[in-house]
Formats: sequence, structure tokens, C-alpha cells
Amino acid sequence: MQWMTIFNAQSLESWRNFKWIWVPLVFILLGLMDPLTTYYLPQILDSVGGLPEGATIDIPTPPPTDVIMMSIGQFNMIGVAVIVLISMGAISGERKSGKAELILVKPVNHMAYITAKWASFSLLNLTAVYAGLLSSWYYVSILFENIPFTNIIMSGAFYSLWILFITAVNFFMNTLVKIPGLVAFLTIAVIIVMQIFSQIFQHIIEWLPNLIPNYMIEIIETGNVPSELWGASSVTVLLMVVLLIGASYSLKTKEMS
Amino acid sequence: MILLTQSAPQFFSDNLAILAPLIIIQLILVITALISLAKVQFTNGPKWLWALIIIFFNILGPIAYFIFGKDD
Repeated sequence: MQWMTIFNAQSLESWRNFKWIWVPLVFILLGLMDPLTTYYLPQILDSVGGLPEGATIDIPTPPPTDVIMMSIGQFNMIGVAVIVLISMGAISGERKSGKAELILVKPVNHMAYITAKWASFSLLNLTAVYAGLLSSWYYVSILFENIPFTNIIMSGAFYSLWILFITAVNFFMNTLVKIPGLVAFLTIAVIIVMQIFSQIFQHIIEWLPNLIPNYMIEIIETGNVPSELWGASSVTVLLMVVLLIGASYSLKTKEMS
Repeated sequence: MILLTQSAPQFFSDNLAILAPLIIIQLILVITALISLAKVQFTNGPKWLWALIIIFFNILGPIAYFIFGKDD
């Protein structure tokens, strides 16, 4: 099947570029950084110095869910930036170098070409996100309090939707413009605009994809899925399908011209 | 809580079990970046500069190399 061929080719390329090694490692580092710095904060403050003699600092130990949410905040900043930067040239780079034309002159379905590549990058991103989430969970459980494992897996499943959505936005931009740097810029611009939008209309709109991370804290704390999260998830899946269809359509029209 | 009066090596050896994964992962990251750098034919900018960046900027150096270093 041609879909599998493209998927395997892309996965092999990611493997040869060491992406399968370094992207999960970066997420693991991001995940364990916040539990560690929070745990060692008194020592860090002490070694930095600058405090008057005899000053006592009393830092309350934060609840474990807060520490996990700090890690998720890191994934949302640096992690998303890494995800956007590694796939910025996935299609646009191939179109620029002419490799995409080489593939698409053969009777290859545009939809298959895009979804296969998207699936390959998504698999890598999701592996990385889960690795990071688990490392954060492991350290929080050791250094703070235990959090039920199923809660983490469940919240990770919803967080995966957000990551899949970002990858889909990135692939849509990949078919719109040919310059990889511009692809990354447009994707991040879309995320930022969505963030601003949801902050302004906070009380009206509850179902935007970028709100998924905010709803995760309830799952991690109690294990219950808030009803808004189901809405946000369905909207995310719907937008993802629209973006992927739009991407294959835009790739088709770009090629004719 | 660990006493604040310890020296740095003492502190490190006491917390080795917790800090070891952090150091091992950083090492793997640096080594894969260096292997990739040795294998790749063309880089954005001089190769020796990338080697220095990978070795001396921990975490960010290898990431920067993997994202911007290669020139296809």
C-alpha cells in the first residue's frame, strides 16, 4: 500500500536524522526539570546567596498536581516550539527541492501523501510527549506525592489531541508556503492568536483546542473528565480533519499552477 | 531536607540517585549530536564551531544543532 510506503520512508528518514533519539530525550529533560528545580529550590536559593544573615525562607511544598502542570507548561512552550521546528520542512522543504514533485508525478494520492507524513511525525511527537509526561510523573511521585498512574495516562490521551492538532496546523502551513521558516512562524502565529482569542472570550468560548491543557488539571487531580474537555476534544478532532483535507486540496491546486 | 551547609561534591554524591538520569540523558544527547555531526557532509557554518556549541552549551547546544545545523 502506498500509504505505508510513504509512512515508512518518512519514519526511516526521521530515524536517520536521529529525531527518534533526540526529540524524546528533550521531552524527558523538560519533564524532569521542573520537579527537580522545585524540589531543590531551597538549596538553589541558598547557593545563589544574596540573602541577609539569619534570614529563613519558608517555601511551602507545592501540591504534586501543580508540579506536573509546570512540566506541561514547559511542553507547551519549548516542547511545542521543538515540534513545530522539526516538521517545518516536512513538505515545504521537499517542494522547494523538487522532491515532492518527483513523488507526486507518480499516481500517488495527495491525501495519502499528507496523512502518511503527518502520521509519521505525529507518532514521533506523541512518543516524545508521553516519555516526557511519564518522566515528570515519575519524579513527582518520588520527590513529592504519588499521583495515580491512570490519571496521567488519561490526561496524556487528551493532551495528545492538542499535539496532533498542532502537527496538523503545521502540515497545512507546509502546503501553503514553500519556505520552512515561514511555516514555523505561521504555525506559532496561529497558536498565539488562538491563545489571545480564548483569553478575550474566556467566558463564552470553552471548546477551543488550546484550552485542552487547562482542563487537564482536573483529570490529574480527580480522574474525572470535565464536560468541557469532551467538547474541546471533538472540536479539535473536527478542525484536524478539516485542516488535513484543506492541506491536500491546497497541495493539489499549488501543483497545477 | 538536606542540610544547607554541605559542600557541592557532598551534596552531589548524596543526591546521585536523583540527579543521575539528568546527567545520563544530557550525555546521550551530546554524544548523538557529535555522531551526527561527524557523519553529516555539510553544515550551516563551520563544523568545528558546531562541535564547540554542542559540547559547551548543555541541552540547548545539541537541540540547536539538530534543528539548524544540517544543510540539506
